[in-house]
Amino acid sequence: MRSPTTWRRPAMWHVFRSDDRLLLIIAGAVVGICSGVAAVVLNQALIAVLGWLRSYHTYGWSVLLPAAGAALSSLFLNKIMREGAGHGVPEVIYSVSRYGGLMRLRSSFSRLISSCLTIGSGGSAGPEAPIVMSGSAIGSNIARLLSLNDRQRVTLVGCGAAGAISAIFNAPISGVIFSMEVILGEWAASHLIPIAIAAVAGTEISYLLQGRQIPFSHQQFNIGFIEILACIGLAVLSALASIILTRTIRAVHHRADHIRWPAWLKAAGGGCAVGIIGLYLPMVLGEGYHAIRTMIEGHFAPGIGLVFIVCLAKIVATALTLGSGGSGGIFAPCLVIGSFVGLSYHRVLVYLWPAFDWVQEGCFVLLGMAGLISAMLQAPLTGIFLIVEITGGYEVILPLIIVSAISTSLCHYVEPASFYLKDLVDKGQLLRPGTDARVLADLEIRELLETDCISVHADMLLREFVDIVKQSRRNLFPVEDRRTGHFLGMIYMDDIRPYLFDPLMYDTVLVGQLMDTQVKTVAPDDDVLEVMERMDADHLFNMPVVANQRFIGMISKSTLLDQYRKELMVQTYHLNR
Amino acid sequence: MHSQLLHIFRNTPLGRESFMQSLYFCKNVGATPVVHIPKHIKFLMYFDNDVVQVDLDGSYLTDPETAEAHALELITSYDLTPKFLTPKNFTASTLPDIPTNFDFMCCPRSVSDLSSKIGLGYIGPRVRRIVSSARFPVLITSPVFKPWKRLAVFFGGSANALNALKLGLRLARETGVPLDIFTQAENHSREDYEAIVQEHNLMEELERLQRNWTFFEEGTFESNLYVVPHDALVVLGACGHGLIRDLVFGSKMEQIQSTIPNNLLIVGPYYTAGL
Repeated sequence: MRSPTTWRRPAMWHVFRSDDRLLLIIAGAVVGICSGVAAVVLNQALIAVLGWLRSYHTYGWSVLLPAAGAALSSLFLNKIMREGAGHGVPEVIYSVSRYGGLMRLRSSFSRLISSCLTIGSGGSAGPEAPIVMSGSAIGSNIARLLSLNDRQRVTLVGCGAAGAISAIFNAPISGVIFSMEVILGEWAASHLIPIAIAAVAGTEISYLLQGRQIPFSHQQFNIGFIEILACIGLAVLSALASIILTRTIRAVHHRADHIRWPAWLKAAGGGCAVGIIGLYLPMVLGEGYHAIRTMIEGHFAPGIGLVFIVCLAKIVATALTLGSGGSGGIFAPCLVIGSFVGLSYHRVLVYLWPAFDWVQEGCFVLLGMAGLISAMLQAPLTGIFLIVEITGGYEVILPLIIVSAISTSLCHYVEPASFYLKDLVDKGQLLRPGTDARVLADLEIRELLETDCISVHADMLLREFVDIVKQSRRNLFPVEDRRTGHFLGMIYMDDIRPYLFDPLMYDTVLVGQLMDTQVKTVAPDDDVLEVMERMDADHLFNMPVVANQRFIGMISKSTLLDQYRKELMVQTYHLNR
Repeated sequence: MHSQLLHIFRNTPLGRESFMQSLYFCKNVGATPVVHIPKHIKFLMYFDNDVVQVDLDGSYLTDPETAEAHALELITSYDLTPKFLTPKNFTASTLPDIPTNFDFMCCPRSVSDLSSKIGLGYIGPRVRRIVSSARFPVLITSPVFKPWKRLAVFFGGSANALNALKLGLRLARETGVPLDIFTQAENHSREDYEAIVQEHNLMEELERLQRNWTFFEEGTFESNLYVVPHDALVVLGACGHGLIRDLVFGSKMEQIQSTIPNNLLIVGPYYTAGL
């Protein structure tokens, strides 16, 4: 008769509950496979659409293609899927940061379709962020299906991101590192194994469906000491390009926000501008991997001036595409712009010191890509391992480390938050596990309430109050109106001690005459972080919590710190295992 | 403990009726109405294990410049303290996150579909998702303001019905209105149901607060529902049984919401009741 509701919570089933780690590993593999399939589907769809539209890009009216693609993409996202637009990865980080990785089911496919429309029609954006978002949403919804807890859900979100990056670049290590460095923001052993399994699953599914193709061909580079020194200059240029790209995208985005056009029309406007640029410089259109391959192989014909112009044009085209509301990510544009930066720098070096036997330009193309990815995402390990894996060799590991480390540091100096995190940091919404803000955000006033205070009435004589003091273990007393129950103020023992020891006052003084009416109060739904700041600013150790004009309890720093410690232990438990 | 009810305000005559139900409920229960006047056509609610996107019917954005004044006027007419909710967090720039740490939420039968579709037998998909995910009970209002003078709890013995019973007892205690209990006997005797109540130490409280416990031992559930007082707030559990059982035999909640026009207070599977 009492029907159990465990059917709604499969994670409660004994078969799953027997071993949590095994459950996560199996679920991680499933998420990795799903992410891999999503990556292959989008990749094949892009190949098909780009191939179909390639012949049309020779016509003058083709400037309208990116406009149409961006407009359709915007309409699809806003009218059909009713999603808020965005680049994808920040939304994933936000959900991990604030809501234990909860994501909508629709996010598992909406960005695949919208980014296919944007990029396939020629928009300058990358498919990686949409696939990461899809993979993460798949992970989140599988966790929901299994009724997993927040921590396990976050792991599966990381699995989705790792599976996506691994499948796109056939680079499982980069997938793992990207997931932990960028998405989760923590290196916990409990995450590592499921994420690694997901990365392998994503890579294998990509192998299975697309064959063992490495995105960029493997080249042998013999890099010497002078070239390693020269990498410092490349790191500076990469950081500069990254800052310009970040600021240009944000500037276009803010400008577009202030234009009172429908979202689809703004996206179309941006797409049209990209189409015009593409008419003269077609290599800025789409994801741009073909140009990277040519540069790595050393077959990129245009001279240094044109390379520089194309680099700037790609930055502008990317900013127009993404800033105006097109759907896609910055990963691929970063690789393209980085490769142009590396190529330009190499050609400048060759021009300045023609007698020196410089390494092939493909090497600097790779280093430029690593530098820009590292600086843009402020994730040096992701940049290093991505380039190592997609080129299939470790020959350039030393200069890769130098370029990635320096470009990340320089970029961090100018832009303290990465492109993905900047908005979240600005809004105070980046709450990484184990940090002060995250611990306080996870506490609620309701769970900190101390309800052992005895309320007194304003019309009470001091004699009656003294009797209450004898029973109380607290040295503060909320004062209420006897008739309405409304909170009127507080009595602090320290303030009234002289009256307590003067019996003459007992029958002449009322509690209402002794109370402090200028008390700062807290509401039950106030943020604990804000309350803590108010306590610090006013040097308070206790504050009354008042709701609907009624006293409901006290909040004290000692209870807060006690709960803080417990919460911190919960959040960092996995680090000590 | 102080409790709060979330209400998404719709600045239309239909919205006013819903809002008056919320205010009447708050007045009786001693809860504070927390009013959200939407600025965007959609919002997200992050629950413990689900995220629900509520795509509002366009009428929720009617005359935004008068919405707050209309809401304020109604709140003060009920002598309640106004409290407006402004979202602090946004998943996307046009997608605010509405907190979910309330004690009650008021919904009309649908928040996403045209109001012309709202009628007996229809509860919109978003409202269903909220009921099945929320820790709080959801007050589903009748289309026009209908003050309730008593409580009617449907108790079928499931875990959710037990939570509904606990909630009914709490409300009866807090509001002082009479409590009636209704049970459709399904191959079980009255003693079986009483044993469940006894097992959960509710019998004493029940005997103190209940006025009648009506057992329907004959007739169909729908026809028996005629005896439910028209002016009762109906408290019931939802999603207490398995999906397959609901599909094959039908759900009591569906039968109730299709038959009686009363205000419904629905307790979902994640609600944790306390006496």
